[in-house]
Amino acid sequence: MLSLFFDAVLALALPLLAWRVLTTRDLYRAVILFIAFGLLVALSWARLDAPDIALAEAAIGAGLTGALFLNTVGGLVGRKRSPSRESDESREVAERREAIQSSPGEPVDEVMRPWWVRLALTVPILALGLALGWAVVSFPEPAIDLAQQASDNLEASGVDHGVTAVLLNFRSYDTLLEIGVLLLAVVAVWSLDLGRVRGGQAALSKGLPVLHGLVRLLTPIMIIVGGYLLWAGAKQPGGAFQAGAVLGALGVLLVLSGLVRPPLSDGSGLRIGLAVGFAVFLGIGTAVMLATGELLNYPPASTYGLIIIIELFLTVSIALTLAALFVTAPPRKEQGSKEHSEEKGEES
Amino acid sequence: MPELYLGVATFLLLNIMVGLIRILRGPTPPDRMLTAQLFGTTGVAILLLLASALSLPALTDVALVLALLGAVATVAFVLRAWHKPDLDGEEE
Repeated sequence: MLSLFFDAVLALALPLLAWRVLTTRDLYRAVILFIAFGLLVALSWARLDAPDIALAEAAIGAGLTGALFLNTVGGLVGRKRSPSRESDESREVAERREAIQSSPGEPVDEVMRPWWVRLALTVPILALGLALGWAVVSFPEPAIDLAQQASDNLEASGVDHGVTAVLLNFRSYDTLLEIGVLLLAVVAVWSLDLGRVRGGQAALSKGLPVLHGLVRLLTPIMIIVGGYLLWAGAKQPGGAFQAGAVLGALGVLLVLSGLVRPPLSDGSGLRIGLAVGFAVFLGIGTAVMLATGELLNYPPASTYGLIIIIELFLTVSIALTLAALFVTAPPRKEQGSKEHSEEKGEES
Repeated sequence: MPELYLGVATFLLLNIMVGLIRILRGPTPPDRMLTAQLFGTTGVAILLLLASALSLPALTDVALVLALLGAVATVAFVLRAWHKPDLDGEEE
């Protein structure tokens, strides 16, 4: 009874929050609602007996993504100040902007769409939503029970935890491609040439003793928890992604507080660290072809060792990727175009 | 005992719902950010209670990760997102 009430409150809150996240024009409010949304989603996964996903959602949804979005909003505030648009619309936009804003200086989504555009968008979106809902309701019984197959073959996988077995053995090809996507994301952000953020030095010069105390307290704990999650992944929820997220958050904290130089200035070391996860995964995946003749088909005797090695390097790469995405996020207004060009020089 | 834990967890979830008012109303960004921080703390408590009530020890790890990472967003907010007028000097 009580659990039903708990679930009902969650189930009511999630769509409400999602709706507010999407319709709020004040960007701060949207980001903070998104953080709260991530937290409730993590609670929902916990209620659905999916602690692996709850762990990933708690680390990435409620923790890191919020920090990345806040960073971006901070960058947008700086850009908004330049009087860029002098069109006929700007007056109307300014008026409506003022009506939306609860306090001056908050960044606001300024794109105003006329009603007919909204109507034209509503129809196909509604149709898509109904089609998806119908697809879920009329889902046929799967011909093969994959979950059952995975747990039946768990012994052959080399690890004792089903999710890790699927991610790094049964469906390791998918995971390999995901790591490739992470690498591509960093390449894409770097190719935008946004310049680097120097918040860290500023924080150091402003002197924030509480922050530095917090970071010094959290650093050893986060390193231990990251290692624990990586190790625990073999037999209980955990693994490279969660460990990488915790260590990546540590990297973000260190950069933000100015205790580590923001650009992670040694470019080649950073590049090697970003690529090493994908490289080792692909290298082991192809090397086992010599023994078994198939890509990513590990020889049974050494499965556990190979999975742990792959996960170790994946953790390093994932953590560095998350921290690197943060460092190269949009710069604030102090960093104008002149600093931008000088940074281009030292980048190469 | 599980019933009691679940009851307290439900009460804390209702607390989060009430806190949503502060996120939606504001009025200033720090109010909203602090509410998100409060949600994180409450979420840790709910997860720990659920771990006991449902005997799912893995949820303790989730609570641990949430507790560690909850502060990151707030730090990012203070240092990167929120332009406090007297800190930056040139805000209007």
